[in-house]
Amino acid sequence: MKLNPILNLHPLTKLYFSLFVTISVIIIPSYIFAFTWFPILLVIAIIAGVGKQYLDIVVKALVLLLGIVFIMQLFFYPGDQVIGEWWIFEATKEGLQYGLVLTSRVLAMGSAFILFFRITEIRDFVKALEDLGMPPMGAYIVLSTLQIIPEMRRQAHTIMEAQKTRGVETEGSLLIRAKAFIPILTPLILSSIASTEERAITLESRAFSAPTKKTSLHKLKRSNSDRTIPIVLLILMISLIIWRFFL
Amino acid sequence: MKNIIEIKNMSYRYPVSDDFCLKNITFSIQKGAFTAIVGNNGAGKTTLCNAIRGFVPHFYKGELAGEVIVDGKQIVDYQLGQLGEKIGYVFQNPFSQISGVKDSVFNEVAYGLENLGVPVDEIIQKVEDVLKLVNIEHLRGKNPFELSGGQRQRVALAAIIVMDPDILVIDEPTSQLDPIGTEDIFDVIRLMKERGKTVLLVEHKMDLIAEYADNILVLHEGALVMQGPVREVFSDPKYATFNIQYPHVTEVALNLIDIGVPLKFIPIRNEELPKALKMEWEENND
Repeated sequence: MKLNPILNLHPLTKLYFSLFVTISVIIIPSYIFAFTWFPILLVIAIIAGVGKQYLDIVVKALVLLLGIVFIMQLFFYPGDQVIGEWWIFEATKEGLQYGLVLTSRVLAMGSAFILFFRITEIRDFVKALEDLGMPPMGAYIVLSTLQIIPEMRRQAHTIMEAQKTRGVETEGSLLIRAKAFIPILTPLILSSIASTEERAITLESRAFSAPTKKTSLHKLKRSNSDRTIPIVLLILMISLIIWRFFL
Repeated sequence: MKNIIEIKNMSYRYPVSDDFCLKNITFSIQKGAFTAIVGNNGAGKTTLCNAIRGFVPHFYKGELAGEVIVDGKQIVDYQLGQLGEKIGYVFQNPFSQISGVKDSVFNEVAYGLENLGVPVDEIIQKVEDVLKLVNIEHLRGKNPFELSGGQRQRVALAAIIVMDPDILVIDEPTSQLDPIGTEDIFDVIRLMKERGKTVLLVEHKMDLIAEYADNILVLHEGALVMQGPVREVFSDPKYATFNIQYPHVTEVALNLIDIGVPLKFIPIRNEELPKALKMEWEENND
């Protein structure tokens, strides 16, 4: 079983932390503050044992975006203090400042939520929401989507094989593959719709709509840190607000 | 004995269909009986199951005439959710009979009990028992989506009988199973009968019906054409007119009678043919 202290936290604790990071960078305007979040998040990811994948996703998802945002701000943000020129564009000091603030914020928020989904099982998160009062119907939709997507991929593969045996060409140039898409997609969509009916009957057979309160084998544990961490975060948040607006 | 299911003059038509799929059906089933429903493809067997389970008319709309009474109450007066506990329904296609939200067979089987709000300790105990009963203990940790057709069929059956309903409606539970797996399933069904459950089974394997079932309902083109104890129905010459399979041994026996070998009675189970021949032989040699 999981013994990792971070992975074992309650999903809501992890969510609170991500929200704290997000709100803190909005309150504190300094980009140095916002940029320091990323190394901290990375350290947390490493302790949780997902450092490599985490870094991988952040780089893939955010670096290009941040690069573009930064360059746009640098050259196009209105300002007077020119610090550099390139072709017809002028880089301004205000642009540099704003670009850094914006990218640092996006980096902190984005990487905080990427971390959240890296260290939280969706199943646990949905369970936590259910405990908070999300209707079972909603929980079912989220969870079934997770399982049905790989199932549909398998189904698509089967249909593709079936169409191949009937002589539909599925390999070759882009045009041929694009043409093959229709005879695969149509049966896939139709069969998915048809199986919805049977799935509804399955759920009904398993007493999904029984007028009782459901129980669950899947239990989320709340440890002491799950009780203290949200309080600590709340206190920190309040002090940040007081420091920013009242001092 | 009390009739747990009573159907009177029931006819049913699917919403977009012109023809009635079930025509003027009347029968009743006693509590604790094991009834087999037989008929050729398209005879209305599955629709009849749906009607007893309440999916007709609660889920499939369409036109329902006549009365369906389950446990003394009209089916239209039940709410669909209430019936889950009373009637267990295992339907044909094992591939769509998976909840789709559970990542192991153990949790899959437990799903129905969770929905019924059974306490966790009790769920674990019941699921353990059922996994053992249906002989799928070795699958407990597997993802239900990764199972073969036969394995899924067993999981589907387990997921229903774990809920311990009074009535079991089972639609071709062995279509994907090998002979041994089929015997296993029938053993489970027999055990359910011994525990006092009322069982309705759609099946094409007549040998097994002859061995296990008490009564039989014969459907032909939406009409209930014959009903009664298994032995009576199989030995009635009228049965041959519907082109439905006989138990193998009955087929052999009828051929023997055709070529002039007299038999004391028409056998429906394998071990009865030698007995029938012997009785006839002893009588002739006395």
